[in-house]
Amino acid sequence: MDVKQFQERLFQEGKELGFTDMEVYYSRSSSTNVSVFKKEIDTYTIKESGGLSFRGVIDGKMCYSFTEKIDENSIKILLEEAKSNAEVLESNEQEELFSGSESYAEVKTYAEELASTSPKELIDAAQLLEQIASEADPRITLVNRVGVSTSEGETMITNTKGLSCHSRYTIASARLQVVSEENGSTTSGYDFAYTTDHFEDLDIPKLAQRAVENALSQLGSASVKSAQYPVILRYDAASDLLATFTSIFSGSAVEKGFSRLAGKLNQQVAGSNITIVDDPLMEGTMGCTSFDAEGMATKKVEVVKNGQLQTFLHNRKTAKKAGVESTGHASKDGYRDSISVAPHNLFIQPGEHSLDEIVSVIDKGLLITDLDGLHSGTSPISGDFSLSCRGFYIEGGKITKPVYQITVSGNMLELLNQVEEIGNDLRFMGRINSPSLRVSSLAISGL
Amino acid sequence: MLHPVLIERMLQAALQTGGDFADIFVEDKVSNNLTMLGGTVENALSGRNYGVGIRILKGSFSVYAFTNDFREENLLKVATSAAQAITGTPGNHTIDLRKTTLDNEHVIHLMPNDVTKKQKIEWMRRAHEAGKNYDPIISQTEISYNDYTQNVLIANSDGLFVEDSRTRTRLGIRCIASDGPEKQAGYFAPGAHAGAEFIQDMDIEWYAREAARSAKTMLHAGYAPSGKLPVIIDNAFGGVIFHEACGHGLESTSVAKKASVFADKVGEYVASPLVTAIDDGTIANEFGSSRIDDEGARTRRNVLIENGVLKGYLIDKLGARMMNTESTGSGRKESYKFAPASRMNNTYIAAGDSTPEEIIANTEYALYAKYMGGGSVDPATSEFNFAVNEAYIVRNGKIEEPVKGATLIGTGIETLKNIDMVGNNLSYGQGMCGSVSGSIPVNVGQPMIRVSQMTVGGRKGE
Repeated sequence: MDVKQFQERLFQEGKELGFTDMEVYYSRSSSTNVSVFKKEIDTYTIKESGGLSFRGVIDGKMCYSFTEKIDENSIKILLEEAKSNAEVLESNEQEELFSGSESYAEVKTYAEELASTSPKELIDAAQLLEQIASEADPRITLVNRVGVSTSEGETMITNTKGLSCHSRYTIASARLQVVSEENGSTTSGYDFAYTTDHFEDLDIPKLAQRAVENALSQLGSASVKSAQYPVILRYDAASDLLATFTSIFSGSAVEKGFSRLAGKLNQQVAGSNITIVDDPLMEGTMGCTSFDAEGMATKKVEVVKNGQLQTFLHNRKTAKKAGVESTGHASKDGYRDSISVAPHNLFIQPGEHSLDEIVSVIDKGLLITDLDGLHSGTSPISGDFSLSCRGFYIEGGKITKPVYQITVSGNMLELLNQVEEIGNDLRFMGRINSPSLRVSSLAISGL
Repeated sequence: MLHPVLIERMLQAALQTGGDFADIFVEDKVSNNLTMLGGTVENALSGRNYGVGIRILKGSFSVYAFTNDFREENLLKVATSAAQAITGTPGNHTIDLRKTTLDNEHVIHLMPNDVTKKQKIEWMRRAHEAGKNYDPIISQTEISYNDYTQNVLIANSDGLFVEDSRTRTRLGIRCIASDGPEKQAGYFAPGAHAGAEFIQDMDIEWYAREAARSAKTMLHAGYAPSGKLPVIIDNAFGGVIFHEACGHGLESTSVAKKASVFADKVGEYVASPLVTAIDDGTIANEFGSSRIDDEGARTRRNVLIENGVLKGYLIDKLGARMMNTESTGSGRKESYKFAPASRMNNTYIAAGDSTPEEIIANTEYALYAKYMGGGSVDPATSEFNFAVNEAYIVRNGKIEEPVKGATLIGTGIETLKNIDMVGNNLSYGQGMCGSVSGSIPVNVGQPMIRVSQMTVGGRKGE
């Protein structure tokens, strides 16, 4: 039974059971990953998976279930599970399925050429990556976790209100960890790259070089004295930190009482130099999509403009509660999840200065390049963070020595009001990105 | 779940290009998730995960493929295409599957699916009521309930054919205290390799009130100090320190490649002589327990460190090949979508002699970390971190003012050697551990311990 037949039978049997409206969200992906260790292929992984999530309205309540097994038997289970879930739901908001937007933007997320990358190309790339990193410097003692992968997949949303959305994607990525040693100091450097278009865009030599540089530059690291320092969060650290706290902009978090920005719409919540945008229509980024998980057309949204909060991110349910229109940010973490809210491609608008220029005005301070433990050392509810980090000491406008075994602590909402300079080095590495940010003062804990 | 004859054909197909070992992992998992927000059931989700993974080894090279298309021709196709990644001379493999029957060491008294959703919601509501009514400062509660039963079948070319069923149940309780724009959360999530009886027998109200108390206490607490200072880490989830500082570094995934600071150190002192640490997958009904690991090997009680001396590692099948030793029953993974890797089960520092009261009374100045959050580590350098959710200052042998949570950092061996007191009140806490083979349920555990110095990531000078 294929997905189309499955969906038709599901809707038919669902109608007989008393469902008034029904929707199927199907996603499928297949990927190949090659990793090498000491010139040999270490692991070779072929993943093929798909799954289907059902939601339907029965007795006025929206309920969910999912399956990975597309067969006769699963139709009954899906419907009965969803129905029994509806019986216990108490939330009294009326949720409705969406019949579709008037038009959808055309975005390129699929590249035939990338989808047909051969295993040999992956193996060659992984071996090249390892070789360049291993030979880059005698202080490199181990190159580990070298992996190159490609993935292609599709998403389909169909419902009884006439919605029919379909998209395909391709992505290739490469990653590695490099360990270096010198005079009793052991450091590791990690980096990754991805492309949604041409395999060569991964730029293997550059990736290897970056990971090597990340490890070598940290050799001889020491801790620093605990104090308040001016701090520059390099673009990668700034992006990670921003990503951890984006739920403060979620309409769902506001509704639940989890966001400190609740009630601050149209108010100044960040410095006037901060503009935060979500642009799902930017091709080549990971979050590029023309429709959200409810099938609504996506568009570019300014979340914060010159420090003023313009809107929260909404799906149809949170928008209805807030009395506004959905911003097209319904999200689903694969077919398993129910609908939530998430950004597609959110970033802080870059400034004019290079990282070197931003460093040059600091007399004594820190450049932070890596943050660890983001899943545990942050509280999106309070905005507080206390994180293990690494980076460099800055003296007289210049980077002078590597620093590790320190923590940086502060509050994200305060931080957005203390940004003195924004770099021009925005890179689209994930779904949430930031250029380098210079912050007037953060608490550093070390010696 | 799959007929032995078909499995034999899949294994044969997998070995046709020269692989020297192949195994099949079939998984059928049904799960139920309920979320209650502010006393209202917001989300009810159930579903079924179903798939099969095929692994082929040749020496230390591994190929892994999975699918959830169970048509016979597809299963054989996936096995055959996985085999294409191996080049060699096919050996002569006679596969003779013999069924292994397991004793039931983790008895499930009440299967979650035999309990109505109404009853589950009633339990959640009790948590909400107790949390909400603790104090008017509690502005919100979020209660989650989840259970699953994962049925697995593991077969391999050595003739193993074994089935296991793992039922786990967990209740998550989050209480939020608010005062103007200030918000703090308190959180507990007890879980077990057990059925619904685990929640039926639980003192739900105690956990809910404790989450509410923690949120309220932290709301008005000052900042933790910065810098290096002595730290007392309480029992149960406090064991996250060992999990990060050492546990991950003992996994053969890192050790076999010498990408861990603990590689080649068996027989050496890697911790204070007060420290004995164990990983035990056999403890009845504990969250990280199971009869067999995800490679079909029996779980074991593995002594990792004894009186400060490194005794052994956590090893899966592939690690055993690379290290020329045997598996410790530690091959685990989230689902059929992952190849197994060496992972922890229930890891803990064994009880020592000091009472918790003695540890506090003998401390002039320290941060007392009462409740911990998660953490992470880079095994290559052993730099680790973990979060403290509720803390206090100890002065002159007494627990004094509360301070807000902070991250604690250190490096593995140095920190383990700095453990200078070990309490006698061992207990466990539950967590989900994320690594190469996905997110898996584990226990961490320890009695109260004291570390002579750690870097505390606070915001206030001493």
